Amino acid sequence: MMFRMIMRRLGIGVVTLWVVSLLMFAGTEILPGDVAEIMLGQEATPESLAALRGKLGLDKPAALRYLEWLGDMATFDLGLSLAGHSGTGGGGATIEVLIGARLQNTLLLSSIVAAISVPLSVTLGLLAAMFPTSLYDRTVTFTTLCLVAVPEFFIATMLVLILAVQLQWLPSIATMTDFESVWDMLRSLSLPILTLCFVLLAQMSRMTRAAVLNVMSSPYIEMAILKGVPRRRIILRHALFNAIGPIVNIIALNLAYLVSGVVIVEVIFAFPGLAKLMVDGVQVRDMPLVQACGMIFCATYVVLILISDIASIVSNPRLRHPK
Amino acid sequence: MNGFDHKEGYQASEVRRMKAQYESGGLSRRQFLQGLMATGLALGTATAIVTGSRDVRAETPKRGGRVRFASSGHGPTDTLDPQLFTDGIAYTRGRTHLNNLVQFNDDLSVRPELAESWEVNSNATEFVFHLRKGVTWHDGKDFTADDVVYTMNRHMGDESISKAKTLVAMVSEWKKIDQHTVKASLSSPNSDLLPTLATFHFKIVQDGCDDIPGYFNKVIGTGPYTCEEFSPGVRSIGKRNPNYWREGPWLDELELFAITDPVARVNAVASGEVELASTIDTKAFKQIDDAEGVSIFSTKSGQYVDIVMMLDRHPGNNPDLVQAVKLLQNRKRLVRSVFKGHGAYGNDHPIGEAYADHCESLEQTELDIDRAKFHVNKSGISEVELMASEGIPNGMEFALLFQSEARKAGLSVDVKKVPHDGYWGNIWMNTPMHLSNWNMRPTAYVMMELAYAPHAPWNESQWKNERMGVLLEQVRAETDPGRREDMFCEMQGLIRAEAGTALPVHLNYIDAISDSVKGMPRVPLAMLGGCEWPEFIWLEA
Repeated sequence: MMFRMIMRRLGIGVVTLWVVSLLMFAGTEILPGDVAEIMLGQEATPESLAALRGKLGLDKPAALRYLEWLGDMATFDLGLSLAGHSGTGGGGATIEVLIGARLQNTLLLSSIVAAISVPLSVTLGLLAAMFPTSLYDRTVTFTTLCLVAVPEFFIATMLVLILAVQLQWLPSIATMTDFESVWDMLRSLSLPILTLCFVLLAQMSRMTRAAVLNVMSSPYIEMAILKGVPRRRIILRHALFNAIGPIVNIIALNLAYLVSGVVIVEVIFAFPGLAKLMVDGVQVRDMPLVQACGMIFCATYVVLILISDIASIVSNPRLRHPK
Repeated sequence: MNGFDHKEGYQASEVRRMKAQYESGGLSRRQFLQGLMATGLALGTATAIVTGSRDVRAETPKRGGRVRFASSGHGPTDTLDPQLFTDGIAYTRGRTHLNNLVQFNDDLSVRPELAESWEVNSNATEFVFHLRKGVTWHDGKDFTADDVVYTMNRHMGDESISKAKTLVAMVSEWKKIDQHTVKASLSSPNSDLLPTLATFHFKIVQDGCDDIPGYFNKVIGTGPYTCEEFSPGVRSIGKRNPNYWREGPWLDELELFAITDPVARVNAVASGEVELASTIDTKAFKQIDDAEGVSIFSTKSGQYVDIVMMLDRHPGNNPDLVQAVKLLQNRKRLVRSVFKGHGAYGNDHPIGEAYADHCESLEQTELDIDRAKFHVNKSGISEVELMASEGIPNGMEFALLFQSEARKAGLSVDVKKVPHDGYWGNIWMNTPMHLSNWNMRPTAYVMMELAYAPHAPWNESQWKNERMGVLLEQVRAETDPGRREDMFCEMQGLIRAEAGTALPVHLNYIDAISDSVKGMPRVPLAMLGGCEWPEFIWLEA
């Protein structure tokens, strides 16, 4: 039963990926200019443009280029980056080369941030739900609301100004190079980690609090209260398990954001990650590169949402046995 | 504050500025002394200040250390292939791993590099280069005439994708005479071939490199540093080439990358994270001044920003409107406020003071609202649309300043801000009025041939002037200095009066460097002294 559900969802996931690739291809085609124009820039002449286009295969019709890409993709060949391709001595920078190290960087940063922010925010949220309207709850609510309201580039810039430029405690950029130890790596990543934790903490703890309080107002909890069960026990034994569905969902969405949406943080800390690569790819109209990044992001969403759905089903017997 | 205090403040700040410039090699001892006396100091005081300052030109380089350079941009288009170099980080990588035939001095004259000496015939149609012997590539192979011929042929023919091929279009053949001699035969004279060959795109690559798999992923050069790592949009690493064919380089290792966010770049250089950072925003000068151990490195250059009015369509086809736009440039305020003094007045032609062939005798166009109003009325045009982009240096401030001056003359300017990606393909030379910017070129001839010759593909305002074409043709073959000067003056005057470009300012290159970095060159062609620094700088502890 569970197995069939997972297979069906994965099937839908593949279809989603295909639709997304079609949309992204259309998107890059609609944008004015192509990679040849952008690489030659102000120095472009009609002849050199034609020569470069021929070299990159851009003279073929759009539909054919898409089908070729799709064929390569089916055999797990991500292809050559157009931008890195020309004049590279017959070698050509493959997409794997461009993406490889950045994917590792992005995954490393996301997992550290997740490892810190998920337990912390769930705990903060649960505590706030346990003692609603207490001074603690108000403090958490006020602080997290403030953090949610401030854009991340502002948080990041302020952290750099105070901790890196004024106090000189931490490095202002995180270029992911030459680590002598784990400590060294954490130190160089500390400012991006801090910034992202602030951003995620707020949303996840707010959602945890809301989900738990929502369950707290259901009839069986009222029954438990009337029976005289202590509040802490109600929340940890009864309410939390029923609130896991929404909490896991919001965590999944936040983790997917960490993989694909942290462009601003990557730019401010000169962090070589995937999100900035995709933006660069769009700027130079490098279709295979954009597609490859897009596929990774889309797959991340599909897998994370699938995991969160499985988690809600496992935690909720009613979903396990649909009528 | 009284007037006396004010003057004292001015004098003190001028002395500080000049001292910093002298100590970073930007002023000679003589220029420094004259500058000090020009601020009103007595000879004795001025001499004392000069003696109390460090004369870097007399310092000896030290070996060792590692330098990190943060450029302003990089991405998936990063390449180590010289024919496709586009930006400062690529030029810098070229100088790190490769060599030219000839090399620029700070005053844009050339000195030998891989070519030890050369002979030019009297009408500049035959160039014979004698190559240096005993130079080896990073992989141990000998450098020979084959490499030079192969490199130069990549810039020739219809199949070539080189960005610089128009500059050498008059060369009909590169021929190997013997292992260490190469001859270039030209179909028409070009007395500027040597400076052209000293530019970024003519770095020498290995014979047959297009067929060596992965050659440009980790380029093999003859240059001062070997390429240890290159990942586009991430970074590149150079290690000292122990077998380099001349003295230097001084550093053990170089790391080149970019911090695209301007604020983050300033923070990185201010906090000592990197030793060199390019393209510092005028708004960040104060932060650099306040930071310990970091200074602004400003190099006078001929690069410029301009407003293009395409003469083949409305409104540029109205000569009165073109006149009015030129008269509405507030050059003083642009240089003083927008570029904070790091620039020079433009005179509506591209040949600024940084060029050897700058014409001194032309009258400077000034802001003149009354005359502009007359021309606006006569043109019958009261509204124009101007395309602007953040990608043009201080482009928005430039456009808005023009807008406010134009309003005073009854011309309403609708400034349209457009994204910079695709700007050169879609906006530039496609819309009636737009901003543009040009880097400095090695000679006045190359600059004008590229951007103002009647047949030039990048003649941005579509200004087709026959006399200009004739003069360019003649000056290329002219060797008499006096007659060359007259011709250059006439051309600058023609562009100033008639071309559809309002060119109010020449910009310095403004970068920031750590005070520990010594030996910076000052070639005015690109950021950080023409991107020539990797071979020459050293670290002072």
